[in-house]
Amino acid sequence: MTEVAPQTAVPRPTSAVARFRQRNGWVVGLALLLAGLIFLRSTQVANFGGFELRALVAGGLMLAFVAMAQGVVVISGGINLAVGALMVLANCVSALLMEDASFAMSILVAILTVIGTALLSGLMGWIITVSGMPDIVVTLALHFTFVGLALFILGGPGGRANPDFANMIVGGFSNPWPALLWLSAVFCLIWLPFRYSRSGIATYAIGSDRQAAFLTGVIVKRARVKAYLISGVFVGFAGLVTTALLGSGSPQGTVALGALLSSVAAVVLGGVALAGGRGQLLGPVLAAFVLTLIPSILLSMGVNSNIATLLQGLIIIVVVMLGGFLEMKRRKL
Amino acid sequence: MTSTAPQTAPVPADEVPSTAQRVRNYLTDHPIVVLSVVFVLFYAVTAALDPSLFTVQGLRSILLLACPLALFAAGQTIAFLTGGIDLSVAMIANFAAYVVATQSGAGTVTALVLGVAVGAGAGLLNGIGIGIFRVHPLIMTIGMSSVLLGVVSVGQASGGFLSGSAVVPQVLQRIGGGTLIGPIPLNAVVWAVVSVFLIWMLARSGLGRNIYAVGDNATACRLSGIKVWQVLIVTYVIVGILAAVAGMIISGTSGSVGPSQSNSLLLPSIAAAVIGGTSILGGSGGYGGTIVGALVLTVLNRLMLTLGAGQAVQQMVYGIIVLALAWAYVAVSRQRAD
Amino acid sequence: MTDAEPLLHAEAVAKSYGAVRALRSADLRVQPGEAHALLGANGAGKSTFVKILTGVIDKDAGRITMDGEPVALRSPAEGYERGIASVFQDPAMIPDLTVKANLRLTGTDPAAVTAELEQLGIHGLDLGERVSDVPLPFLRMLDLARALAHKPRLLILDEITAALPSDLSAKVTEVMARQTAAGGSVLFISHRLEEVIEHCDMCTVFRDGGDVASFAPKDGREERIVHSMLGEVASGQAEEGRRSRAGRPDVGEPYLVVRGVSAGEVLNDVNFSVAPGEVVGITALEGQGQEALFDVLAGARRPRTGDIQVDGEALIARHPAAAISRGISLVPADRTMAILPKRSIRENIALPATARFWRWGPISGRKETRAVNGAVARLSIDTRAASQARRLSGGNQQKLTIGRWLAEGFRTLLLFDPTRGIDIGTKRQIYDLIRELAEEGAAVVMYTSELREIELVCDRALVLYHGRIVAELPPDAGEEALLRAAHGFVDAEAGA
Repeated sequence: MTEVAPQTAVPRPTSAVARFRQRNGWVVGLALLLAGLIFLRSTQVANFGGFELRALVAGGLMLAFVAMAQGVVVISGGINLAVGALMVLANCVSALLMEDASFAMSILVAILTVIGTALLSGLMGWIITVSGMPDIVVTLALHFTFVGLALFILGGPGGRANPDFANMIVGGFSNPWPALLWLSAVFCLIWLPFRYSRSGIATYAIGSDRQAAFLTGVIVKRARVKAYLISGVFVGFAGLVTTALLGSGSPQGTVALGALLSSVAAVVLGGVALAGGRGQLLGPVLAAFVLTLIPSILLSMGVNSNIATLLQGLIIIVVVMLGGFLEMKRRKL
Repeated sequence: MTSTAPQTAPVPADEVPSTAQRVRNYLTDHPIVVLSVVFVLFYAVTAALDPSLFTVQGLRSILLLACPLALFAAGQTIAFLTGGIDLSVAMIANFAAYVVATQSGAGTVTALVLGVAVGAGAGLLNGIGIGIFRVHPLIMTIGMSSVLLGVVSVGQASGGFLSGSAVVPQVLQRIGGGTLIGPIPLNAVVWAVVSVFLIWMLARSGLGRNIYAVGDNATACRLSGIKVWQVLIVTYVIVGILAAVAGMIISGTSGSVGPSQSNSLLLPSIAAAVIGGTSILGGSGGYGGTIVGALVLTVLNRLMLTLGAGQAVQQMVYGIIVLALAWAYVAVSRQRAD
Repeated sequence: MTDAEPLLHAEAVAKSYGAVRALRSADLRVQPGEAHALLGANGAGKSTFVKILTGVIDKDAGRITMDGEPVALRSPAEGYERGIASVFQDPAMIPDLTVKANLRLTGTDPAAVTAELEQLGIHGLDLGERVSDVPLPFLRMLDLARALAHKPRLLILDEITAALPSDLSAKVTEVMARQTAAGGSVLFISHRLEEVIEHCDMCTVFRDGGDVASFAPKDGREERIVHSMLGEVASGQAEEGRRSRAGRPDVGEPYLVVRGVSAGEVLNDVNFSVAPGEVVGITALEGQGQEALFDVLAGARRPRTGDIQVDGEALIARHPAAAISRGISLVPADRTMAILPKRSIRENIALPATARFWRWGPISGRKETRAVNGAVARLSIDTRAASQARRLSGGNQQKLTIGRWLAEGFRTLLLFDPTRGIDIGTKRQIYDLIRELAEEGAAVVMYTSELREIELVCDRALVLYHGRIVAELPPDAGEEALLRAAHGFVDAEAGA
């Protein structure tokens, strides 16, 4: 039959524009939205400048880190319900150890905190892969444990951040640069190299199709643990930012839960698919600032702060529903 | 069809499963057995330290505290069975309790109906988002939570629809704190009714079959003519109603309402369903296990209290116990999530 | 030949899953420069053996050596270092990553892959493309090119030709010839006996978890192969399969009429009708729009144009439920789309019974038991592992899917490649059942990728090519005529 068989046509490659839209469309849209919101904010406030920017950047920094922490795990096809609790733990431990520490000691404490959260988070990933329990169960159970541990260690609100250290992380009164710098540094020096390494590709691979990833030689268990490890690094930074911003440790379950819920919201709004394998961490970072900006804009517009909470929830639902709706339309075609 | 073709049965006839395998299979199919043993053990240990548990009052207090948790966990269980989860149960409960308390002036029955309707309405919205718009249950219910928090806050503000005087109706206070007979608190009656209904519904009704089936394989359901979105909507409406009832009972027990009074039960409700052996991935489990799960967690809290452990230690142990039980369950059943 | 030092030598390899022994004791010798076929019915242990060989799973016992040295791969990627490269049955490409990123995962040089593709005669495939945007046949070719780029001494091809159109299949066999000519070996797993006979030097047949025979698969030895695969009992039946039917049965008025249906990217203006008591076979190469056609018929997708008439009334389906209520039921090819893996046989079969909203109330136990037992008996479903459907074999799972509709009742049954990946015994049961159903007055529309099935079970054959029906042929038209039509070459007589 071969002599009569027609040549099966080689598919034409998709155009560069289509590819860019497919890969970066959401993030670009989000960046435009953020720019628009910042512009809106600048028209609301007289003498818009360093002070407001610092409030925005420093205020959103914690959420940005937590969103990154959630994002990595979601990309790997999992979910991490313990990000908030681990952040609270990092906050409490670092605040306790920094209480009477010098600047240099504080730096050491900060480094140890990040290493500690990375190890704890990695341990969590290890438990998930070894036990075979669903990640949602393990991280939920450890959410309790971490909050309890934070409370146990600090015994109640307390501890104190080293003021110089705080300044270095979140900047002074009207200085947005340190916070911005830290965010960029962590993103560019930790995330990007990881993302383009073989381990990073493997993270995306196990989120996209675990069976195929295994067949291509990815050691799935190791890659999952690595995703939690990196997530722990970002959580550690989130905890340090909290310490710097609050100036103390606050072992509260509500803080943990709030951070957790916001992190999931930021990840979804940031265009990372909850099913895993798709999306970029820049999305959740931008989304974190969008979510930080919206309440203050609404407040300035004279909207009641309670209504602002309500609107925030609505916005998330509407965005996600819109996503679901578009996906549905695409499938029908 | 009298073909003698070779069968490719997975268990060849000459290989009878070993005793260990049979025990394992039995325990896999009946996780409630293991869990009941754990419960009895916990209860015995706690009672040894605190003999009041052997009294009628002691038993009553456990049942009284377990009831709201078990009602939340009931909703969580059926959400799990469809492969979902509901993180808005606590806020639905708070909202419903508020509505009942502030509308009690309009008559107790009206208030109660309104409360249940609020739960059903929130559940309906959850169901529409999850079933029709295919929003991930986690996101939909987190979003719903924050919307409801906003609604409650707005309603509470002066001039809002929840700003009137909040009086928890007498009926709820009776149900939340009264005693039927001996060690059985009145709220356990509500719980018993819910349990009987749920267990029957899951095992012997078309809806129950569909709930399991949707969680196990939604595509197969669609091709078999089941409208998955209908099943999901009904499921989340039931979850919402259960949450509302739980919220009302909690307000009855405490005699007051607060915008976050049920929140501390959110994660335990998930934990109770998990250790009760219901798969968070959907398709297997049941409410029987969850009942025992709720009892175990309640006794565990009591044990911590008896030991004088602070809130910190309590939380830590809580997490570790949930982890250990879930681990044991996976190890015995060998049903790994991956 | 057996005296020479084999390239690959497996001895007494065994593997059990819990109480189920998938492999009892399997031996295999692959010589250098040999194209070796691995054959066996479903459940014979063939796929378990390949998984062990390629490092996907661990063996319980036995020894595998290469050049006399033991090999125990812990993951498929380790094979590359040992000179083993595999193309798996499931695509080993991450859908959300680009082809390039996929190559990085396996440590493959993209330039080498491009070179191999060129040599395969595939030009201009962009490696920067996301995998999910590449059509399946080309993914298989990419898989192959990636394996070749590692210059393996043993190339394992597991059912690679199943998803390929014939011109690409031919390229695979060219690769096999080149590989063996260069002194390398190929282990070829395929259900297509003609390919094995044409291109392999040796074959080893597995049955019941062990190897039963090893010989050269020459022309005329099909019978021996089938005999080895089936054992004593069923081998006679395989040949007796041909039915003598007196042409088209006496059918009534068309029941299901499809007019001008277009859907998806391919399916274009399809017209045909089916009458009660008739089995209409549809065949086509991969990707000619058959999936879209069956989706439209089953109500799972709305047609872009055209309409479907059932009993003279238009069927407008937004959901499969609408088609089912008009008596049209679909049995999909992929059993993961049909089975409730964690639920019992009973619940699997009774699934459609509770579909309608008004049947969400109490279940009548007795009525259900009767319906389920009827289906189980008629299909002789093995109920020993009744508590969870995932514990059943593929054949039994497929029977569950069909049994579901026997219990529920239907007037038109849509079968999409109902025997894909099923052992010959179960296949024959399904063929018998289809004929019985037709005799009882059901209309059956069956897509099949196995041309032989057209003659075995169908009353007429429709051939789909580029989304259109290009030919209607009698069942005894022969495989060659069907194949020509499937490639778009329509003889004057067949076009009628």
